[in-house]
Amino acid sequence: MARAPFYPPSGVYADTYAKDIRILKTRKQRFLAVAGLVLLFAVPLVPGINSPYHLRLLIGAGITVIACLGLNILTGYCGQLNVGQSAFVMVGAFTSGMLNAFLGWPFWASVLPGGLAAAGIGVLFGIPSVRLKGLYLALTTLGAQIILTWIALYGITVTAAGFAVNPARLGGIAFDTPQKFYYVAMVFTAAMTFFARNLMRSRLGRAFIAIRDNDRAAEGMGIDIFRYKLLAFAICTFYAGVAGALLVHYMMWAQLESFTLQDSIWYLAMIIVGGLGSIEGTVFGVVFITVLKELVLVVGPMAQTRLPFLPIGAASGLLLVIIGSIAILFGVLEPRGMAHRWSLIKAFYRLWPFGY
Amino acid sequence: MLVISGVMNGAIYGLVALGFVLIYKASAVLNFAQGYMLLLGAYLFWFFRATLGLPLAVALLLAMAAGFLVGMLIERLTLRPLIGQPLISMITVTIFLSLVLEGLVSMIWGTYPLQHVTVFHDRSIRMGGMVLTTQSLIACGLALGVAGALIAFFRFTRIGLAMRGVAEGHQIVQSMGISVRRILNISWGLAGIAATIGGILLGGTLGFQLALSQIGLLAIPAAFIGGLESPEGAVLGGLLVGLSESIVSGYVGNAAGVPAAFVILIATMLFRPYGFFGLERIERV
Repeated sequence: MARAPFYPPSGVYADTYAKDIRILKTRKQRFLAVAGLVLLFAVPLVPGINSPYHLRLLIGAGITVIACLGLNILTGYCGQLNVGQSAFVMVGAFTSGMLNAFLGWPFWASVLPGGLAAAGIGVLFGIPSVRLKGLYLALTTLGAQIILTWIALYGITVTAAGFAVNPARLGGIAFDTPQKFYYVAMVFTAAMTFFARNLMRSRLGRAFIAIRDNDRAAEGMGIDIFRYKLLAFAICTFYAGVAGALLVHYMMWAQLESFTLQDSIWYLAMIIVGGLGSIEGTVFGVVFITVLKELVLVVGPMAQTRLPFLPIGAASGLLLVIIGSIAILFGVLEPRGMAHRWSLIKAFYRLWPFGY
Repeated sequence: MLVISGVMNGAIYGLVALGFVLIYKASAVLNFAQGYMLLLGAYLFWFFRATLGLPLAVALLLAMAAGFLVGMLIERLTLRPLIGQPLISMITVTIFLSLVLEGLVSMIWGTYPLQHVTVFHDRSIRMGGMVLTTQSLIACGLALGVAGALIAFFRFTRIGLAMRGVAEGHQIVQSMGISVRRILNISWGLAGIAATIGGILLGGTLGFQLALSQIGLLAIPAAFIGGLESPEGAVLGGLLVGLSESIVSGYVGNAAGVPAAFVILIATMLFRPYGFFGLERIERV
């Protein structure tokens, strides 16, 4: 072998299970993974892209990746539509925020309760729907979005007004600026991504995929559909809760406006564009939509000032039209999303120069 | 009083819910963009009536025609290429459709409420100690009338029969010489009309504003409580949701109507999963 291959060369097979199930199969892959991680964590040190603006975008994308990973596990892997993900992000955010602000729990201790609270409420809403097929989960999650937001707005006085949350601390360091919080966000994002990737190739992940592809066959194979659907829903909402906990400690302020139905739809758009049922696709989708959103937010107001005949609010309308049409285009033309393109590129690289 | 206003609004919800049922019956797709089709219809009416200054009847007819076209166009452009894809991708496409429609409306007309146009003359009548407005009476009557007409259309015309056939199964109907695509197209058009009329009626009372699309949120539980396969159920579900909305917001306040409708929806799902008039499909998977 002249050069270190990226993929295991054909004809070379793993001789133990431990080798076969490795995510990173070759030395080159391991090297690239470590290099990627180093680059990811070196971003705040690189001049040019380490302004608070860029870091804020990256942190936002990282937190969104966590919420979208959960959604992709439920929608992409298990085939259940969730249109209320941001409501569960809200549950996690408020739980963790209130534990921190009123009971003085540190950030690290309040992340897990945030995730668990979201998962608990998620399961509560999941029960009526997972016994039924099809779009019923979409409805209860829509209901969850509306009911939970209403409770937060009118039922609990603290959450309606919003409250300040203390920044995360570790020893003497307070993670209160984008430069510092970047590390917290990326540690969580990387860990949750790795966990999701691993989970989805385990027994659990295979059961989810079986349910998505054919629920009757799955039941016939001995998969308890009710239990696994609920479990998928619990994992999805747990991810949402963790994302929420990160979000409030990053903003240091918990408010209701960050968790609307529209945010839930953004999450859906991200995983559709990125690729349903793909972990790396989730990351692609989040990055793509985040960048696109920033571009439109810059271009929109410019267009508004140049073209005075447009009514007030046209810029926000433009954003909706662009994101919506892109998501529809992906849904119609490339249902497997950017992840599919990515795997085509990888296949091209692997087979080059002898495609076919 | 609360009961009356509930019934008035409920009739309109029922009409919008009918739009859901029309599409669901034909293609098993739940159209999340229904509320935004309603919004677009109402704004188109506003355009014909206020901007072009057309007479009421002409503007109404034009808006209905436009609503029909919008519905057909949506089906042709977004849903037809998806025939054969998993259901979930069709449903998500309608969700993104709602983004596009809302964005289009706010790009053309802006995000502020439009100047009010009266759809019907407003006079209040006293009836047995209750104050009613002619506007809401006409609106309620019209909504029920249109809903009745659609149900009759479904039941007694050739196309209606074909639509019910499509709901039963695509292959059989296709082999009988009925074009499934055309029928799907027409049902989206009809849903567009139902949404447009609902939008105009609501716009007349609530004002022409982006918040009209919220009605789509109330029509979803209405359609489900009635049972997604049943047009009559949709109208009754609409009345039920309207009633509970006005009673709950009357006593609890704080815009509790919409969440209340969803609480009822979830409760219905627990005990009667296919709604009150829906087709019960026994499937233990």
